[in-house]
Amino acid sequence: MSKILIMLNVNGRSHEIACEPNTLLLDCLRQDLGLTGSKRACDDSSCGACTVQIDGVPMLSCALLAVSCQGQRITTIEGVAEHGSLSALQKAYSDWGGSQCGYCTPGFMMTVNALLSETPDPTDEQIGAALSSNLCRCTGYVQMIQAIKAAIRAEQQGRAAKRA
Amino acid sequence: MSLPDFQVLRPRTNAEAVELLARHAGDIRIIAGGTDLVPSMRQKLFTPKFVLDIRAIAELNGIRESAAGLSIGAMTTLAAIERHPAIRKNYSVLREATITVASPVIRNMATLGGNICLDTRCLWYNQSLAWRKSCGFCIKKDGNLCHVAPGGTKCWAAFSADTPPALLCLGAQLEILSPQGVRIVPLQDLYSGAGEAPLKLASTDLLAAIHLPAASSGLHGAYKKLRIRGSIDYPLAGVAVTFRNGAGNPTANSIMKDVRVAITAVNPAPLLVREAAKQLEGKPFGEATAELAGELAGELAAKSARPLTTSALTPEYRKEMVRVLAKRALLSLA
Ligand SMILES: Cc1cc2nc3c(=O)[nH]c(=O)nc-3n(C[C@H](O)[C@H](O)[C@H](O)COP(=O)(O)OP(=O)(O)OC[C@H]3O[C@@H](n4cnc5c(N)ncnc54)[C@H](O)[C@@H]3O)c2cc1C
Ligand code: FES
Ligand code: FES
Repeated sequence: MSKILIMLNVNGRSHEIACEPNTLLLDCLRQDLGLTGSKRACDDSSCGACTVQIDGVPMLSCALLAVSCQGQRITTIEGVAEHGSLSALQKAYSDWGGSQCGYCTPGFMMTVNALLSETPDPTDEQIGAALSSNLCRCTGYVQMIQAIKAAIRAEQQGRAAKRA
Repeated sequence: MSLPDFQVLRPRTNAEAVELLARHAGDIRIIAGGTDLVPSMRQKLFTPKFVLDIRAIAELNGIRESAAGLSIGAMTTLAAIERHPAIRKNYSVLREATITVASPVIRNMATLGGNICLDTRCLWYNQSLAWRKSCGFCIKKDGNLCHVAPGGTKCWAAFSADTPPALLCLGAQLEILSPQGVRIVPLQDLYSGAGEAPLKLASTDLLAAIHLPAASSGLHGAYKKLRIRGSIDYPLAGVAVTFRNGAGNPTANSIMKDVRVAITAVNPAPLLVREAAKQLEGKPFGEATAELAGELAGELAAKSARPLTTSALTPEYRKEMVRVLAKRALLSLA
């Protein structure tokens, strides 16, 4: 199949990519752009390991065609670090055992990051509902909930310290 | 698994989309949110030469209120539907069904049009090409046998979308565009009842919008679904119920009017259970009588359900759960 040229905006940078029209966004990110943070773990779009944000909204990059994402802002796990260091959420995941084998973690990060930008102080129910999009076979989710709450506390303390 | 080779066409207007569908009739497949089509193309269930991506058509997106009711563009995402205040307030059964579809992230992509046009599903069909080949191709795709009803000549793949039973209860009408012009079709007329070709939709048809009549605004309604996990899973059975009562307050002992009961995931099409509607019409409904109404609705809904071994859990259990879910739906409104 002959290749086509597409323009994608990923993590704030524009990329011109020659790819086949049937390329999934996930494969384009991993193979053409070398952004291997987004994972493939299932073959039927059910696990969430490939979750990225399109214009800030979490979506499955294994169910999106790369050509269809032109003109939109794509954010991957590589784009969530703050000024080159881990975000509060990433730090909390490592402190609280929210990540074990780590394969599902980038997908969870993209889902939870979107939850916290829309709802900075979510209820337990809202956290549970957000986590229900992604599968983890290691942690049992409880550690993730603890990590998310710790990240929220850290953010709140950070803001309070800035005000003081 | 990689996708089959195809070219992607990205029209900006409905007129352009209809023109492209006509030009490549038979060789083209519409992609909306892609959450059904992409996994299916990976399994080589569809191998179109052209894929028509309708995401960039602004006129297909959005929810408009008018005196006639509510008009929902086919590309409106399920996430937008679950957040819309008029749907929450006036068409609550649609919201209840919507929030059970797949997972929150999938609902950010999934569209209402795609949910209505969902392909039927079966354990022997939604599998990779290698899997299907090694077991023997079936009637639904590439072959002529049925693993579910051996010796049978019909396909029993189950229609497994959640919003259609709610939309059937609401009397939804579809606006369909084709080279011949616009036509309005009641939702129940979209479904053929045949597992192998579940939709009466030509390859040149574009579903543009879903209209909910003002007459269905404010109905009491509930949707109950059977699934193994609380998220991600398709329905193994689903029941929607709506009705109106004169008193305007379902807890007072009032009379049920405009009753509708619809089921999904247990037949090759979603169905209105007309007998339940008929027998419940005019029956009292309140705390004391809801149980009785629920029993009746459940019994008649289960009678219309013909589940086979197309999905997880036994057909007997799924049929029994149709009865239980109908009753639970009514009890939740008492
Ligand atoms: C893991 C997983 C779990 C799921 N669970 C559920 C569930 O619980 N309940 C449920 O109902 N669904 C479920 N789904 C299926 C799917 O996500 C939804 O049904 C969704 O609403 C489909 O919409 P879409 O826009 O993604 O459809 P697409 O995949 O884009 O399209 C689906 C079909 O409809 C056709 N189509 C789409 N739009 C139009 C149009 N405007 N005109 C004509 N034809 C059109 C396409 O050609 C295609 O054949 C699940 C999917 C996955 C991957
Ligand atoms: S890889 Fe599993 S949902 Fe995308
Ligand atoms: S940490 Fe291993 S799958 Fe989640």
